[in-house]
Amino acid sequence: MSDDPKHSGNLPIETEFSDEEIVKSHVELAKTKHEPTANFLLAPLVFVFVFGCLIFVCSIQLAHSTNSFQLHPPVEIVELTPEEKEALRMDRKITSGEKIFAARCASCHQANGLGIEGQFPPLAGSEWVSADPGVIANVIIKGLKGEILVKGKKYGTSAAVNMAAVPISDREIANVSTYVRQAWGNSSAEVLEDDVSRIRAESSGMQDQWVGAELRKMFADSFGQ
Amino acid sequence: MSVDSPDKVIDRSAKLVFSFFLSSAGLWLLTAALLAYVAAAKLTDPFFLSTYEFLTYGKIKVAQANAFVYGWGGNAIFAVSIWILARLSQAEVRGSVFIVFAGVIWNLAITFGLLGIMDGHMSGHEMLEMPTEVWPAMLISYLIITFLVLVIHRSRQVRETIAPQWFILAALLWFPALFLIAWNGLEINPARGTLQTVLSMWYGQSLVWLWLTPVALGAAYYLIPAILGRTIDKYYLAIFGFWCIAALAPWSVVHHLEGGPVPMWIPAIGTVMSIAMVFPIAVASTNFHATAFMDIGKVWDSLPLRFVIFGTLSYTVSSYIGVVFSLPAVAKITQFTIINEFHFNQRVYGFFSMIIFGAVYFALPRITGKEIPKAAKSFHFWTSTLGVLMLLLAYLIGGLTHGVLAGQPSLPWASSVIQSIQPYFLITKFAFIILAFSQFVFVVNVWRVIFPNPFAFFAADDKEASA
Repeated sequence: MSDDPKHSGNLPIETEFSDEEIVKSHVELAKTKHEPTANFLLAPLVFVFVFGCLIFVCSIQLAHSTNSFQLHPPVEIVELTPEEKEALRMDRKITSGEKIFAARCASCHQANGLGIEGQFPPLAGSEWVSADPGVIANVIIKGLKGEILVKGKKYGTSAAVNMAAVPISDREIANVSTYVRQAWGNSSAEVLEDDVSRIRAESSGMQDQWVGAELRKMFADSFGQ
Repeated sequence: MSVDSPDKVIDRSAKLVFSFFLSSAGLWLLTAALLAYVAAAKLTDPFFLSTYEFLTYGKIKVAQANAFVYGWGGNAIFAVSIWILARLSQAEVRGSVFIVFAGVIWNLAITFGLLGIMDGHMSGHEMLEMPTEVWPAMLISYLIITFLVLVIHRSRQVRETIAPQWFILAALLWFPALFLIAWNGLEINPARGTLQTVLSMWYGQSLVWLWLTPVALGAAYYLIPAILGRTIDKYYLAIFGFWCIAALAPWSVVHHLEGGPVPMWIPAIGTVMSIAMVFPIAVASTNFHATAFMDIGKVWDSLPLRFVIFGTLSYTVSSYIGVVFSLPAVAKITQFTIINEFHFNQRVYGFFSMIIFGAVYFALPRITGKEIPKAAKSFHFWTSTLGVLMLLLAYLIGGLTHGVLAGQPSLPWASSVIQSIQPYFLITKFAFIILAFSQFVFVVNVWRVIFPNPFAFFAADDKEASA
């Protein structure tokens, strides 16, 4: 112990304040709060002011960031313009139509819509597809039998479309025919579900499939000549 | 020998318990320092000790935190709080044998817990990673010690209590409460879904705020008047600060979940309560520093007080930094960075440990009657100051760099972000070496006083008692 006892300051003898005194003086302090003063005390005022500000800041923060104590985070509301909504609707319709086509039509008409020469007529560039929407809707609802001429070639000698056996809803028909009318370079107008319903109602009494010539006569003006 | 003063009698009654807890705390401190170095070294050199499965980073990091908080923190809390409460109550420590017995169980439980962690039996809950098998032993031994501390407090001479007693007793009682709530909600009746994460994180953070922090604050409330010989300035605020910590701290810790998959109001409340934590921080720092700066020369001269004031200053500064980091706008940058390391290390090294060092240097000469050379203490002070400042600055600046760079998705991760933080990890590695060295100096200082001659310890004790 080479250090100077005067400066070590922590030898047991040097304690200036015994524990008894610490307890007693602080207990006394807690009772009297503070020494009597002539003027007001600055510190409590500062504390009250600062703490008041803090409580204010805290309340603002609480009101703004708790999301009204909801369990889930707020849903982001996206405002779309009418054009964007229309594009979104069309996009969904085409996607749905594409799926239906792949599941129900592509086995014969092929995924590329070109059909098989001599057996299944093509849909790409077909005048039957680009004619009045009623043509394609009628064919899907009731089916088609007999020979037809598509893009100058004969089809339908061996196979007939017989859709009556397969249930398909008006919406599905609208979707898939819209897809077909707009895929592979086709660019015909959209087919609406309401039109399909009307067509279905009109042909509800019919037992047999359509014959190509009948349809050509019904929608003569849309076939061009 | 003349008639001993009551203080001498109390010190003698506390000698066995104090020496036991302090020497085990020292061993845990060195263990934690070693583990901290290994963990830090692995961040700069991934191949360091990579052939040992039980020394993988995830295990070492967790083992270090547990060894530090329960091993060093727990034992130091027992030593310091028993002595301070006995002194303030003017009552002798009774049932030393039971306390030491419980202390042995506590230390064994942590030892097995750490071995369990190394063996891969982690529980996965923050700061409760030790295998669940050791939890009952920890709780029971803790309750035995706390009960005997309450016995000391119950036999106090003056009925009224003062600030150090509130803080230390509250901390002693809060720990089992936190532990039981976490145990119940995580293992006995496991909470479902998100709540479990919230609870686990809440326990880990509250442990620091409601266990380590109040003990250190209580020790500061005792040591500053005892060494300076003057009462705490604006003491009437202390009770307000105490209840603010009790009411706000457990709420404020949930701000660490900012940006996490929890309902928005949880981190929002945490942020608000963190801002409100400015109250108790302002109160404590006013109390401590207004008193200390009346006699700054004496603070500098007395090494225990120098440690304590370093701790309280560090508490003030870092708590305010913590408030700033809890704001959502700032948390956006800092949330998932090494700033989290800054918070933890600041609390346990810069604040808690520094005040405990001061308390030990104040108490040890009184209890053993032997002075520690001033040069040794001074050396310890400067090395730990250097280590702590290096560590904290590296984590702070590194964390901010990390946050700013990680927020730019265009930067390549490994070649740009990691490269920029690498130097800071290197600094922390050296800081941990310095800290380990300073802690080694502390343990040597303490052990040389407690066991001047290891074989004569009990003999000397008997001689003193019979005199």
